[in-house]
Amino acid sequence: MIEFFVYLVTIAAIWGILSLSLNLQYGVAGLVNLGHVGFFMLGAYTSTILVVMGGWPIPVGMIGGAVAAAVFGILMALPAANLREDYWAISTLAAAEIVRIIFLNTNLGGPYVGEAFGVSGIPRPLREWFEAHGYSLPSYNLFYMVVVLLCLAAAFVLVTYLASTPFGRSLKALREGDEVPLALGKPVGFLRVRVMAVGGALAGLAGALFAHYNAYIAPEYFLPLETFIVWAMIIVGGPGNFIGALAGTVIIQILYNSTRFIASLVDIDAQILGSLRMIVIAVLIILVILYMPQGIVPERRRRYGP
Amino acid sequence: MIQVLIDALVRTAELSFLAVGLTMVYGVLRFANFAHVEFATVGAYLALALSSSLGLPLVLAAILAIVLSGGLGIGFDRLIFSRLRTASPIMLMIASFALGIAMRETVRAIWGPSPFFYNLGVLAPIRLFGALITPTQIAIILAALVAMLAFHFLLSGTRLGIAMRATADNATLSEASGIPTERIIRAVWFIGSGFAALGGVLVGLNTQVKPDMGFGLIVEVFCAAIVGGIGSPYGAILGAVLVGFAENFGLAVDWSTPLNAIGIAAGPYAYIPTGYKSAIAFVLLILTLLWRPRGILGTKA
Repeated sequence: MIEFFVYLVTIAAIWGILSLSLNLQYGVAGLVNLGHVGFFMLGAYTSTILVVMGGWPIPVGMIGGAVAAAVFGILMALPAANLREDYWAISTLAAAEIVRIIFLNTNLGGPYVGEAFGVSGIPRPLREWFEAHGYSLPSYNLFYMVVVLLCLAAAFVLVTYLASTPFGRSLKALREGDEVPLALGKPVGFLRVRVMAVGGALAGLAGALFAHYNAYIAPEYFLPLETFIVWAMIIVGGPGNFIGALAGTVIIQILYNSTRFIASLVDIDAQILGSLRMIVIAVLIILVILYMPQGIVPERRRRYGP
Repeated sequence: MIQVLIDALVRTAELSFLAVGLTMVYGVLRFANFAHVEFATVGAYLALALSSSLGLPLVLAAILAIVLSGGLGIGFDRLIFSRLRTASPIMLMIASFALGIAMRETVRAIWGPSPFFYNLGVLAPIRLFGALITPTQIAIILAALVAMLAFHFLLSGTRLGIAMRATADNATLSEASGIPTERIIRAVWFIGSGFAALGGVLVGLNTQVKPDMGFGLIVEVFCAAIVGGIGSPYGAILGAVLVGFAENFGLAVDWSTPLNAIGIAAGPYAYIPTGYKSAIAFVLLILTLLWRPRGILGTKA
């Protein structure tokens, strides 16, 4: 039970970083990024390639993953920088699919590495050290959970700080429409490129943390459905509010993982159960949009004037 | 090359149904409906269920499935989108994305993840100018031609079509002129979702019926609608032609001559691997966004 709890907290914290970064892009800057899983995948694969094939140390791999995702964010934002949200939605969705198609069709060496087989045996940081000193796998997992939680805390401090800087306030103005920031001489296209880079780097870091936690990655982990789950976290939690994004992460993760317990209670096919949980999350989103568009933790808006 | 041309025409026919419906809903309601492609999946499965379990002939089952899917479109509009008429298009987009997932997963929960085929028996392909074409593919191309002509007469010759175009052009003004906007919106949902269902049946005829068949087309369909100019039905057909031909000829063309010419040694043959087929639509989309975001026949970006 405690091991499952550690697993749940680790996974929820990784997804927490994802939802914080998407909240920076959508909740703060109003960018409809339907390709968030692309950053996540690029972070996971870049770190894996650097560490497994390149022989670099794991921290370098993780930083490399974040940098690759940031560059991808810039590339994603450039053609759409000055376009409307519909174009953002479809071009980001397509860009993430291209990343997945590229990794799905690329052999990374050996007959069973890369492509649909994925990469297995990804090393976990300091695992040997823990083994040499006689620590068991559960206590190592506890250590990794703390690492991920520290990363989550750092990400939270970073996005909260960014939102309070002039950069963050310009982004909020951008969300409400291009006219005001343009009138104030803000470079709207460049602001969008920058927020895609920062949010992308965070999501890439989350991907690297996931790869080195799961020790196995394959293209099937990075379907557009995953982006949708991050969106569910933000919509339910409250767009624009970082506490809300974390609250949404906890709610959706509990919903998502509760099917394990339901499966042991009720005799139901695992395939159907998997579909049912996505239906529940989808219906929840629609209900929140209809009846609680601000989410459960609404954004606090500063009021000016009397 | 004739073979590639036939494949491109079939692809165009399938895509045009989906792209026209998408662009119509966009034109009237001003939001990108991400659930649109799922109507193709639902329509294909409904036709399958009606033909196999009730024993209806496939044509009748397909017509029923189209009507049912159109009704489903109206139902979802009543249930979800009509309550969000004044909300931001982003919220509508996210709601439609969620609806699409709910539809797809419902199909998966009912029929399971494995693919199905329409029971047509074995049809011998016909030889045409040295290329092979199956009777189904001929039917798909003919169905597309007939439906697109009918659609053209609907838009240009009937009161409903003219009202639809007026609403898409300027909703406030058309309502002030006495056009019942809500009724037009219902008609658009019915036709759009029904067209998508027909597209789904055609895709199912040509390949297989599976839960991801609609979502697998989302990039191509949006690309066709955007390249042609989102909101313009004729643009969507043009966009479908472009995507269908670019995909099939892009894969069939030997790129070694231009690649060698610009100095990238590609060897004697250089073909785009089939795994990258949907990347072609994406490249087309990016080029459109860079060069002419409002599309070829579009009026505003």
